[in-house]
Amino acid sequence: MLSLDRVCKSYTLKGVQKVIFHEVTWSFPTDRNVAIMGKNGAGKSTLMRLLSGAELPDRGHVYRDQKVSWPLGFSGGFNGSMTGLENIRFVARIYGQDTDRVTEYVENFSELGRSLRLPIKTYSSGMKARLAFGLSMAIDFEVYLIDEITAVGDENFKKKSNRVFKNKLSNSQIIMVSHSAKTIKDYCDCGILISDSSINFFGTCEELLEAYKEQARG
Amino acid sequence: MKMISTRQLITLQTRVILSLLLRETRATFGTSSFGYIWAIVTPAASVGLLVLIFDLGGRIAPFGESLALFFATGILTLQLFNELSGKLMTALNANKALLTYPIIKDMDTLIARILLVSITYMLIMVVFFSVLIWLDLASLPARIETVIAAYFATIVIGSGIGMTNALITSFWDTWKQIEKIITRPLFFISGIFYVPSQLPPEAISVLKWNPILHLVEWYRQGYYPNYSSLILDKSYPVFLGVGFLLIGVAGERLFRKVRN
Repeated sequence: MLSLDRVCKSYTLKGVQKVIFHEVTWSFPTDRNVAIMGKNGAGKSTLMRLLSGAELPDRGHVYRDQKVSWPLGFSGGFNGSMTGLENIRFVARIYGQDTDRVTEYVENFSELGRSLRLPIKTYSSGMKARLAFGLSMAIDFEVYLIDEITAVGDENFKKKSNRVFKNKLSNSQIIMVSHSAKTIKDYCDCGILISDSSINFFGTCEELLEAYKEQARG
Repeated sequence: MKMISTRQLITLQTRVILSLLLRETRATFGTSSFGYIWAIVTPAASVGLLVLIFDLGGRIAPFGESLALFFATGILTLQLFNELSGKLMTALNANKALLTYPIIKDMDTLIARILLVSITYMLIMVVFFSVLIWLDLASLPARIETVIAAYFATIVIGSGIGMTNALITSFWDTWKQIEKIITRPLFFISGIFYVPSQLPPEAISVLKWNPILHLVEWYRQGYYPNYSSLILDKSYPVFLGVGFLLIGVAGERLFRKVRN
């Protein structure tokens, strides 16, 4: 279960305080895939980082008793001077996975071939994204946090990513940030909308998308 | 709700720290095993060069037969301290990207760096003193257990001050420059090229506040069979080190939410 208990979070930059969440209490359903929507700056990515544990709330608690992924879709966290392979082994090790199995999986999935033996700083952003996505798929999480996943690569690679990802969904839950109605309908069956430092739950994608449009208009 | 047992947490943290240790080793010393050999050879060679310069200048050992041994006991202790306090100072900021993996905590990156520097310096000391013994410039340490205790005391105080440095730097970046200025005189006031007990009492009364001086004296008392120090108080550097460690650890916990 993933739940927030009276969570407050705000940022202060150059003396200006911006409240992102105020006293938010909410438990995520465990058997449904949840979409997260909201305006730019509403706090979607912050919510992802809070859920993953990468960031701590100012007040309140975040409870998680499942294996939750890091917020996917980012390609940071790689060490630029280390090779792709070294980065893969490192992440496999910290998550207690068999390094050989993960390496093999990512090698097959990412189609990066011999580039994996080169330092990450020589990679294009597309190559980095392939590596990051492959790596996250190689590790079995119970909940995947996906922050604006962007399709990378050619048609074939996109198809393959989709297939692998759909396959994951049969055993895992996803919580996904997206602006795209199509993506949300594809993967999620309910969602939350972030507005005015709080969150509202909608039982179906249609209701969520309707409320999102409403908010954008108003 | 499921709870994670303490044993599971310890296993997890050990795993993360060891992975970080491997990663830091590769990132710092390159991927070839030859890279790590450089990490051991370079400090050893710089001490060797210093000895050579003093030797050519006609300097004789302030204590014992060997100038090289006398210097090495002082400068390696100081370097271990400097390396710890310096490497930890930048650990929190340098590893920000890593914290995107929520499983890695700030404290893990600090502990991994402490291990890396400590192990590296242990190897440097073993190599350097072995070479001296092989060249007949030194004998085996008289009280190895005292030498080991001095080494660990250096790690405690180096880690304590390093963690405190890391904490201050995460709020105030300029501290990095200021710390450099403050620690620069340590080379001259830590008894590296003189026997502190032979100094005039006025000098001793000031210098005895320097914990590194105590560590150097401690190390020498272990290495030489007959090095007696008027100054050495082992509890001073240990208490100071533990004090700074507590400040570092408590500060990391207290300001965890504000720092990021």
